[in-house]
Amino acid sequence: MSVMTRVSALVRRHSTLAILLVPLIVAGIAVNTFGSQLLIDMYTYFCVSLCMVFAVQMFMGNSGILSWTHIGFVGIGAYAAGILSTAPAVKSMGVPNMYPMLVDLNLPVLPSILIGGLVAAAVAAVIGYPLMRLSDFAGVITLFATLIVIHVVMTQWDNVTNGPRTFFGVPDWTTITVGIIAAILVILLAYWFRESALGLRLRATRDDRYAAAAIGIDMVLVRYLTFVVSALVAGIAGGLWAHYITSFSPKAFYMSEMFLLLSMLVIGGSGSISGAFSGTVIVTVARELLRQLESWINNAHVLSFEVYGLTELVMALLMVLVLVWRPGGVIGGQELRWPLIKRSGKDTTPAEEGQAAA
Amino acid sequence: MIDLEFVINTLSLGSLYALLALGLVLVYGILKLVNFAYGEYVMVGGYALYIAATLLGMPWYVTLVIAVLAAVVVSYLTELVAFRPVRNKSANAQIITSFAVSIFLQNVVLILISSRARAVQLPFFFSKTVTIAGATTPVRNLLIIAVTAVLLVTLSVVMKKTVLGMAMRAASDKFTTTRLMGVPANLVISAAFLISGLLAGVASIFWVSRSASVDPLTGAAPLLIAFIAVVIGGMHSTVGAVVGGFVYGLIFNLLSITLPASMISYRDAFMFVLVVLFLLFRPAGIIKGGYTEERVG
Amino acid sequence: MAMLTVENLEASYGAVKALHGISIEVAEGELVALLGVNGVGKSTTLKSISGVLRPVKGTITFLGEPITNKTPERIVRRGISLVPEGREIFGSLTVEENLRLGAFSVYKRDRYKADLEEVFEIFPILKDRFHQAGGLLSGGEQQMLAIARALMAHPKLLMLDEPSLGLSPAMTDQIFALIDSLRERGSTILLVEQNAERALEIVDRAYLLANGAVEFAGTAEELRRKVDIASVYFGDEDATDSCEVTQ
Repeated sequence: MSVMTRVSALVRRHSTLAILLVPLIVAGIAVNTFGSQLLIDMYTYFCVSLCMVFAVQMFMGNSGILSWTHIGFVGIGAYAAGILSTAPAVKSMGVPNMYPMLVDLNLPVLPSILIGGLVAAAVAAVIGYPLMRLSDFAGVITLFATLIVIHVVMTQWDNVTNGPRTFFGVPDWTTITVGIIAAILVILLAYWFRESALGLRLRATRDDRYAAAAIGIDMVLVRYLTFVVSALVAGIAGGLWAHYITSFSPKAFYMSEMFLLLSMLVIGGSGSISGAFSGTVIVTVARELLRQLESWINNAHVLSFEVYGLTELVMALLMVLVLVWRPGGVIGGQELRWPLIKRSGKDTTPAEEGQAAA
Repeated sequence: MIDLEFVINTLSLGSLYALLALGLVLVYGILKLVNFAYGEYVMVGGYALYIAATLLGMPWYVTLVIAVLAAVVVSYLTELVAFRPVRNKSANAQIITSFAVSIFLQNVVLILISSRARAVQLPFFFSKTVTIAGATTPVRNLLIIAVTAVLLVTLSVVMKKTVLGMAMRAASDKFTTTRLMGVPANLVISAAFLISGLLAGVASIFWVSRSASVDPLTGAAPLLIAFIAVVIGGMHSTVGAVVGGFVYGLIFNLLSITLPASMISYRDAFMFVLVVLFLLFRPAGIIKGGYTEERVG
Repeated sequence: MAMLTVENLEASYGAVKALHGISIEVAEGELVALLGVNGVGKSTTLKSISGVLRPVKGTITFLGEPITNKTPERIVRRGISLVPEGREIFGSLTVEENLRLGAFSVYKRDRYKADLEEVFEIFPILKDRFHQAGGLLSGGEQQMLAIARALMAHPKLLMLDEPSLGLSPAMTDQIFALIDSLRERGSTILLVEQNAERALEIVDRAYLLANGAVEFAGTAEELRRKVDIASVYFGDEDATDSCEVTQ
């Protein structure tokens, strides 16, 4: 077997990855070469969003649990990485009450981001186990409550986060290249995780927890391990984001942002890699267009008053429409495979739809 | 520290929380829907009060009716337009829908009115104080206790004695079987949303009266309170929700007087930590109720 | 003319197809049974007729009118009541409230009182338990309550899904005697039963289902004669000549 046939066999087997990653890279190179600075920034942001979405997808897509908490881990990663990488002089000026010990810390950016991910994972490891025992109403509410707790701590602990005020001076490090590489790595991880022993066991508990328990799967444990791993990824994504945006405050890690992440997942279909990817594309593009429209309306004085909140309003409407129209998401829970057009959407078996809806 | 004033405060806070929790759990019981838009019914009630009282200067008894009606109508409309089309979809799709509805309603008032808080004109007697046995308290605290008592008694009579009440109790136990009795699914679900809106509307009057203002984010806090109270009390029974509301009111007031001043800003976080710890030991809440995992569909 | 006609009914749970085109008929006044082992689609057929499950294909006609894809609450109003598998008593409601909900679709104050008296006549035990919570009743009592609750709607067709499931032999005898007496009173009944031997003692006709399709149809006598029922349940393929049952 020649090298070429081997490669083509590999591509064929993992065609989903090729379908997603090749355009991601090609478009990235094109944007970097020909695009304006604004477009490059937007593409970088899109790549960082992909990292966050796949962090959530690893947990939610495989466990079926709707998690509100992950944006909190993004925030923890962002603050931890920012505190580590920002110059002491900047910190002592920007965060007057910071613990002296933290002010003195200073590391290069990459290790800072990785440590930020570890801090987020550590927090998840401490709080996660009891949360993973709960399902249904109690599960949704406690994950939601956990986000609120994290948010309260972020806004109140001004010795670390500067409280509700802006934390600024984080080095600008996350370029479009960094963003693309990170997105590729995270997608590969999520793709591999889905088929890994842990991912398979988690999906078994999602589809039928009693049957899974009957074959010896400890549901709480597999949920917990995935929760910690996905928090690690979310924390790293937060670090990347912090070094892209360079200044931020706790409200960047709260409900409306989490809703955006969840909407990316739900619109595309959280059950599959392709779904999460396409949801991120759709929501990013739709939101950007709506923002442009909103600022155009406000600047051109089309209406006698200024509109704020139009973007959110239309996004909310779109979400409901997609949920009514295709509850499993636009992609419907399946992976895109080569060749792309093999069967029409109507041939989707109900089982696959059911899986996507879970 | 625990005197009559504390008791009245706790009872009035508990009453408010009980109303909020009950409205949430009624819908959850039947639809198994965690309704994140529930807080917005309170917000809408507040804005109706603002429009009727502050802008239009209507008599106070009219404004109160309008506030409650607005919450009821919006609750019913969200059921009709948003929740009914996704009724057979996954639980996660329903939760996301309810969150989208919440964001939609917030942004509607943001666009139509303003992002800034608006002062609400409340009935003149709300903030008058009375002294009972040495305890001084605003009239509205006594009113909420009385109104809650009346509502709870009425509601329990309706649930126990009317066929609709029986059907609703049956539906939160076994939804499909209830339909096999000839009870239309839409009837019980609409009834649940109407009552849920009614409770949110009544609660909105007293909620708004505490700060005498309303803004697009007014609904967030009542929603969280309802969540916590329901988790404490048990999400599978209406009695649990009421108990949870009062227990939450008590804990909240106790924390307020016992936490050192520097920690008061963490009070919410403390509440949630308590909730999580509580769930560790009693995942089903104080009142267990008939537990079913069946979802509508 | 048949009261209920089911033609080429197909139904599935997700990807799993449960019914592959079932056709059955029930005439007025008949007691008909659907027999077969676990998982052949007996309950699925009843669920499809009662509207709980949406069939993928096929038509269901009741009293000359199509009822396919109607909601359960509408089908009850047309006159079909289902006593679901596992009885499905509202455990937190009293016996009285369970019966009252059973009459939901036909409630008229005067008639309700008379209906209650009639139910008490058939099921005296329910009178004693009238104010108790349904969940506190024994299995047999719950089954009686479930049947009584369905009768309160004055069904033209009563469907019973595994009424003897989980009951003691003595209670099973009682339930079968009861079904027999209901037929004597003129009720039309479609019965799903695993206990084929017992069912064949009381039914007029029966359908034997296998793998989501009708394998054999005939009178009780024919079924008893032509099909070795024991073989159906114990999977002995050689014992049947007219009917090949594959497991």
